Amino acid sequence: MEKTRWFWVWVITSLFFRLVLIYFPENLNLGFRPEVATPLTSLRRLAEGYWLKQSSMSPYAGSMYHGSPMLLSILGPLTVKRIEGQPSHLMCSLLFVVADLVTAMLIRATGQTLQLAYSQSLRSLNLVSLLESSETLSAGDIAALVYLWNPLTIITCVGSSTSPIENLLIVLSLYGACLRIAPLAAFGWVLAMHLSLYPVILIIPVILLLGYGPDAPPRKLFLQKNSSENGNSPSCHGNYPCNEVTSQEKLPLHPFLWRPVMHFMLWASFWLFYVFVLCSISLKQHGGLLEMLKRTHGFILTMEDLSPNIGVLWYFFAEVFDFFRDFFLIVFHINILFMILPLAIRLKHRPCFLAFVYIAISSMLKSYPSVGDSALYLGILGLFINELAEMKFSFFLFCGYIGVSLLSPVMHNLWIWRGTGNANFYFATAIAYACLQIILVVESVGAMLNHDRMLRKNSTVKL
Amino acid sequence: MKPRMMAGSSGDTKNPKIKPRPIVRIGIFLISHSIVVSLLCFAAGIVALILLPLFAKNTYISENALMPGSANSMLSSQDVKEANKLVKDIIGLKLSSEEARIEIPRLIAQHMADAGSEVYYHKFHPQMSQFYPLHFFSGSPNSGNIKENHSCVSHAINTVGIIRAPRGDGKEAIVLVTPYNSEKVELGEALSLALAYSIFSLLTRVTWLAKDVIWLAADARYGEYASVTAWLRDYHIPQFSALEKLDADICFESGYPHEQNENQIRTDVISRAGTMAAGLVFKVVDKHKETDKDTLSIYAEASNGQMPNLDLINIVNYLAVHRQGLRVKVEKLYFLLDSVFLKIVGDVLETIGKVARSLNARWEFGIPVADYIDGAATLASSMYHQALGVPTGSHGAFRDYQVDAITLEISPKVSLNNEVRILEFLLRGGRLIEGTIRSVNNLLEKFHQSFFLYFLTSPSKFVSVGVYMIAFGLLVVPLPIIAASLYCDANVLDSHCIKEQQKSGPASTNEAGIAFQSWRWLHAAKVVLVIHLWGAIVSLLPYLMYQFPEMTPTTSMLSWGLLSIASLLFLHQILGSPYSCVTVNQSPNREWAVLKSMMIAAAGIGLGLMSIINFATAQIGALLIVPMCLMVHPLKHVYRAGRLRTLAVTACNISLGFIGFPPAAFLFLKAYSEGLGSVSAGDFWNWVESLWAWNSATYLYLGHEGYRLKHCRHGHCQGGQNQRAGEQNDRYRR
Repeated sequence: MEKTRWFWVWVITSLFFRLVLIYFPENLNLGFRPEVATPLTSLRRLAEGYWLKQSSMSPYAGSMYHGSPMLLSILGPLTVKRIEGQPSHLMCSLLFVVADLVTAMLIRATGQTLQLAYSQSLRSLNLVSLLESSETLSAGDIAALVYLWNPLTIITCVGSSTSPIENLLIVLSLYGACLRIAPLAAFGWVLAMHLSLYPVILIIPVILLLGYGPDAPPRKLFLQKNSSENGNSPSCHGNYPCNEVTSQEKLPLHPFLWRPVMHFMLWASFWLFYVFVLCSISLKQHGGLLEMLKRTHGFILTMEDLSPNIGVLWYFFAEVFDFFRDFFLIVFHINILFMILPLAIRLKHRPCFLAFVYIAISSMLKSYPSVGDSALYLGILGLFINELAEMKFSFFLFCGYIGVSLLSPVMHNLWIWRGTGNANFYFATAIAYACLQIILVVESVGAMLNHDRMLRKNSTVKL
Repeated sequence: MKPRMMAGSSGDTKNPKIKPRPIVRIGIFLISHSIVVSLLCFAAGIVALILLPLFAKNTYISENALMPGSANSMLSSQDVKEANKLVKDIIGLKLSSEEARIEIPRLIAQHMADAGSEVYYHKFHPQMSQFYPLHFFSGSPNSGNIKENHSCVSHAINTVGIIRAPRGDGKEAIVLVTPYNSEKVELGEALSLALAYSIFSLLTRVTWLAKDVIWLAADARYGEYASVTAWLRDYHIPQFSALEKLDADICFESGYPHEQNENQIRTDVISRAGTMAAGLVFKVVDKHKETDKDTLSIYAEASNGQMPNLDLINIVNYLAVHRQGLRVKVEKLYFLLDSVFLKIVGDVLETIGKVARSLNARWEFGIPVADYIDGAATLASSMYHQALGVPTGSHGAFRDYQVDAITLEISPKVSLNNEVRILEFLLRGGRLIEGTIRSVNNLLEKFHQSFFLYFLTSPSKFVSVGVYMIAFGLLVVPLPIIAASLYCDANVLDSHCIKEQQKSGPASTNEAGIAFQSWRWLHAAKVVLVIHLWGAIVSLLPYLMYQFPEMTPTTSMLSWGLLSIASLLFLHQILGSPYSCVTVNQSPNREWAVLKSMMIAAAGIGLGLMSIINFATAQIGALLIVPMCLMVHPLKHVYRAGRLRTLAVTACNISLGFIGFPPAAFLFLKAYSEGLGSVSAGDFWNWVESLWAWNSATYLYLGHEGYRLKHCRHGHCQGGQNQRAGEQNDRYRR
């Protein structure tokens, strides 16, 4: 009771903090920072696109806007709507605050589902002693608070970028999949893919979630357990029928359920169709769907905008010769795809964690990354606080994230404003950031696998 | 520690010979010998700092296009005579200050127009020094548009003349600045105006000019920096407000010089001449001190330790020494010249150099004692000015717009009282400036070839970033090593505790302790975060206090102190309560070790960042903070050790804390230099006020340092608290 009260107090404080920051925008000037607003997510570009559209031109004219036309129709009116005496972006910012809140609540609900599943599976493996520790910490609450109080999330929310909405859709899709609500999962997935393309790889964890249910220890463990119990039970020897006995004791080993997956597929294709219809209506005079795909997803894939950001690709493509460009574009994008399959095989029993790893990897290798992506995966990381208790290098990673996030604006200042530094200075921080993310992913996957090993050891010892 | 444990566990299973990778072994070695290593590194860092003048290299002109001194000077004695007339005119104006304020710009503008250039007046109001807390990262130079009610009298007038280059396309410009006080013009200022005029009139006639030349005769009534800043701001950030126009119209009658031919001189527009390639501020100082040569002093430090490109200093130095035969100086701390310590070090270095040369003639690293002392004093001055972050002249305003600029202060060898001397002096100074302009005129791109990050040890010697970073790196390296070793020790200690408890008690109770072991630092992180938050609040408090302008410095200082303490208590109440969640299993030893490692890590990150923003500040800060970080230790723990050690450690900590606490240090220095009588709390306020008026990073840093100290104290009391908690635990067990 006490805990939930504190949780809500912290949630409300975080919202209040955001509102205060929104009220003092001029001093912060976050919307102009390359770490916060990318060509895809910048609200300034969206306002420009909306203006173009209002004057009956294509919103994509002049390579300013590269987002979805639907975002334009939802957020566009808000960018021009002014309240007397208030900052001009107030309406949009309020929307982003709400989006952050909803995201946090969805993360919390997902966390509660995951924790339920986790304790169930531990109970069925007779590892109740492990539960005593994990019950002191509610993973969902912690993850939600980590998401809300993460400085990166706050900066993204205040800094007028549309990342909070993308994050909301991704979390919505995971939440729907966790609760096996196929239409919701499909809705989130389709829209997230439509907005930023990279969430397309989340289809694998979503399908696994729908098929197998939330994260659990490896299936092999249950199989072992079942077989050993079968073997040990004396009643099952020989030809005696022992189905009734074992079915009661048998562990919850769900087979892959095709039904929700098929539902998901149907709903996904329906939503996709729906989105395309809406977009084509909205862009009827301006080149239609083809133009939209070229200017949004094509823009992401071909990496046209080489303005500096916290990723590593801009620097590389600014340097590379033009005739190698296509080749390296393919190489870099395949990099993400290469990692999908092995990870899916290794972590198929933990689809939510798999989703975290995918998000982290894509935010490392995507063409226009921003701190909003890190905010998302750090929030989701909080869901696995019980499993990752033994994670190594956490202190180092913490210091690294703080250092890099402070270093990046300093280097940018040195390069752009003072003129005493150059692009290499800023790129150095981008490399350091990428390395940190790599270490984070490697260590968290390692810790998760160790946790599985520990479970196996404990369960076999108990036998 | 972890790799070692891993190696041990794998050794148990199969092959006992397995060794961790070399880099891991190096890491383990460093961590296990952390105290020795950090002491060595720290000492080496200080030694490297002292040796810096030895490693200074000769400057060289890096950009080939500059070609200084390749053309003959065109400035003739005729030009100089014309200029001398201007001097006489200005000095001859026996006017009241009110009239002079209008008459001198008119005179200058008249001369400019006669020379055949575009002329306009630039009118500005002095800006109140305002404190913008988040100004540093928003990047853009002062764009604050504060509208205040200025009376028409209060504004000052800059006179600006522009020569359009016959060979240029108007995309680039060179700026000459001559500050003068319009209320009381002295001979030196008149001479500098004349100097500028002689060059200006020459440049209207030459054919080789490829960049426009702007001459800004800056009205320094409100300080030369203010006038140059105001002009640069209006040049770069045009203002289109109707209010301004109205203001201009009302004040027109009284504010501007009346012209007979008014159509020539514009007052309402700012003419532009492209981006600035370089800025030269020159002043003539009529010192009554006899020297054998005319002297040229170069001032280069801009705000926040930024320096202009070294090439600019190089060409001025080259032309002054090799063409005009001037003596070139850069600032130095004169009291260091008599320092005994530096003399001893210099002697030792010279001896070592001699010995080395006698062993092998090719080893040449010794320098004479005099050179060493001179270099050290110059380096110290350079470092001091960079660290303070306050520009040494109006050239600092240019650096905010990425324009390289320096101040040239020329002083004659004897007092200028006869005309021949004046003419000779003007000719020499004029040729120097003409040569410099001609060099800059040759530039194809903006200055980029040479260094931006350097310290000067003499006008022709410098220490580059690659060299001085080594000294800083050695100073700072102990921080991560100590942090890592403390963290690892704490972890090992913890696991030992748990093992012992596992032997004694049932296993199930400890599982909560085993879990989250790697996240145990979170609590320490919270404490550190709260303290840093407090530091941020303290450094932002003056913004609040600036809303009450009628406070005297002393009351401001006192209220600042009180508010700081109040905010600390407040934070402690709501967020801090760091002792509320002391977990049962935490051994007190471990707790403070983790806290200290967290604090040291934060200090390391902070110093690293500061070294990029403003190297000199970080260097001086590292000298203060690093020993503080390494020495800090909970007092309760120390008492267990011997009495002598206790005393020593306590005394060290307290003295370091005293020196590190900025107000204390400042008052101490002040008392040392001026005698105890003059010390008051208000002084510190004034000093800090001057710092934030310049947007100095040192200010950021002061707050930083302030809370670091609190932090250390906090570390002490934290340790004490934990000790108490530990005793309670002991009693409970009994």
